[in-house]
Amino acid sequence: MKPTRTRLLVRLYPRRWRERYGEEFEALLLDRDDGLREPINVAWSALTEHILPTYGGTMNQPVRTFGVVVRQPSAFFPIAMSLVALAIVLGHIALFGVAHEADEGAAAHLWQLLMAGQVPILAFFAIRWLPRAPRPTAWVLALQAGAALASMAPVLFFNL
Amino acid sequence: MRSTHHVVPPQSDPELGHYSDPPLLVLASLASGPKHGHAMIEDIDSISGTRLGPGTLYGAIARLEQQGWIEPLAPEDRRRPYRITSEGLRVLRAKLSTLAQVAQAGLKRLEPL
Repeated sequence: MKPTRTRLLVRLYPRRWRERYGEEFEALLLDRDDGLREPINVAWSALTEHILPTYGGTMNQPVRTFGVVVRQPSAFFPIAMSLVALAIVLGHIALFGVAHEADEGAAAHLWQLLMAGQVPILAFFAIRWLPRAPRPTAWVLALQAGAALASMAPVLFFNL
Repeated sequence: MRSTHHVVPPQSDPELGHYSDPPLLVLASLASGPKHGHAMIEDIDSISGTRLGPGTLYGAIARLEQQGWIEPLAPEDRRRPYRITSEGLRVLRAKLSTLAQVAQAGLKRLEPL
């Protein structure tokens, strides 16, 4: 396999994995033939390593507290999106009152986009972090659910 | 009950006998002495007909190392050989004995078919 291709493939793995196995894995890939089958195998294995990491050999398992997990973009973006959605609803009520309009309007569309848009991010966060740090991830998921419920509460309460 | 006698003719397709349990194959390969990744892939291919991809091989190596069933040796020109530990040998022996028992019983049951 060509050196540029092997370097690119090794880069697909998580940093900690690369620190432990990167050099020898790159040497192995250099010994392999060019083709599609093995790069696909490596890409799939790298993806698996991101989802279900191995902490083999001398690799140190990092500390994964609530503070570390909640600072992940996939953790705080959904919370931020829910809070923005809540601000939009409250702002709309403050400006126009509780009005039941036939046309949903820009604020309603924005609220729907923010709420629906966080679903794939939430799924990614849960798949990635639940196996690595179950307890802190469960707390962050509860926080995300709380923020989502808070932004839905005025809509349900005022039947907007 | 339907007989499998005419459904699966013996040795009709080598792919039918394909066996893939990467950690067990790695342990079996290292039972004959320390090897690095490329040598393991070739050896596993020769003993089982299974060609492990590099990603699959290193996934198995990482897990076996984590379990303490194999251990790394000093690298030789960036290639790092691995060897099986005494615990790994014990596990390999136990797993192969179970497999042999299953194979023996299964083949015996196939005889009258």
